[in-house]
Amino acid sequence: MGIATFLERTWSGLTGLVKPRSAATMFRLADQYRHEGRYEEAADLIAEGLRVAPNIAVGHLLDAYLHVVFREMPAAKTSFRRVLSLDPYHPRALFGLARIALEEGDIEGCRPFLDRAIQYFPDFPEAKALQEMVATWSAPAVATPSSVGAVNTERLRLPPGAHDLILTHADGTMVFAQGSEDRQRQLTLHMTQVYRIASATLARAGLGALRRGVVEGSSEMMFMRSDGGIILGVALPREIEVGAGLVQLGRLWTDLNIKS
Amino acid sequence: MADSQTPADSSAPRDAGGAVPRPSRAQAFRETLFELIRLDGVRGGLIVTPDGLVITSELPPRFPVEALAALAATLGRELELGATRLDRGAFRTALFSADDGTVFVGGSPVGYVTLVADRNVNVEVVRAALGRAVDRLRGTWRTAGAA
Repeated sequence: MGIATFLERTWSGLTGLVKPRSAATMFRLADQYRHEGRYEEAADLIAEGLRVAPNIAVGHLLDAYLHVVFREMPAAKTSFRRVLSLDPYHPRALFGLARIALEEGDIEGCRPFLDRAIQYFPDFPEAKALQEMVATWSAPAVATPSSVGAVNTERLRLPPGAHDLILTHADGTMVFAQGSEDRQRQLTLHMTQVYRIASATLARAGLGALRRGVVEGSSEMMFMRSDGGIILGVALPREIEVGAGLVQLGRLWTDLNIKS
Repeated sequence: MADSQTPADSSAPRDAGGAVPRPSRAQAFRETLFELIRLDGVRGGLIVTPDGLVITSELPPRFPVEALAALAATLGRELELGATRLDRGAFRTALFSADDGTVFVGGSPVGYVTLVADRNVNVEVVRAALGRAVDRLRGTWRTAGAA
């Protein structure tokens, strides 16, 4: 027997001992890795599994989850939609698309996904929590009667480094905001969304209505205060202590003479 | 619970996954949360990934874990996106106080640490500890990414 034949037979024998893994096995293992936080390994397995079996919904679902973890939302959306093309009532895919719509600010687009998920699977607490949250949301009113009078910013005692001062209603109707028109729009949208989601979270935890919030970014802090559907926010330098920032915000609240 | 069924059970609303051992990063997540919930005034907490998977949770029995996780993941994403859109640097921590308590959120690439605390909790102490925890979680992400 020549060396080439010997090597070929040996290689053939070795590979014959290793059975190829089924797609289902790969997906199961990928999901285990996902639970362990081993996302990179999970992603490799999912890609391999989908190459072998491209029409298994759970493979695309896991693929979508990992795209969300890696903040690849367009790819996640495509994978969730692929799941629905294989299983039109898949609750997790519907829920995933609802959450993406929500973070895109598309409230009207979010609702049907949640409704469909709960219609077919009433025992779905995550979807119910979001459904209850968005049910109370409304688009900004054209002319909401404001409890805040004309804002005279010249009288405001703005602390050093303060910017992005914003006063808005909880429905997204802006009363006043600093900056360009685009900046005002972004600020209002973000402030309203944070207020709404944080309020729902506090309520779900049984803690009551949101009063104050502090958001720390790596370069600055955002302070917010709310009462009766009015939200006041301001960005301050990152070095400021929470207590001091809230005192500054309280002064602004008083200066604006907000009556909720 | 959120992770009670296998991925093959594609028609169930539950998340994919089963009861599996969670070494490595998952162990770091658990240890991180345990340290935080030992702080005075902290009632419990959870770590949830951006896709809503509860990695670990230590909440009193009456707390609706799945609902809280869904809201925490949604809140974490909004805080993350807002910080980026408004050029405020990467989102690190947040706190939201109400009449009967405070919710803390810490952001990291692996997910969001959410703590539920009493009304009179020492905010600065918890925020500082949460900041350290977030840094540690970022470390686990970088370590694995480099491997």
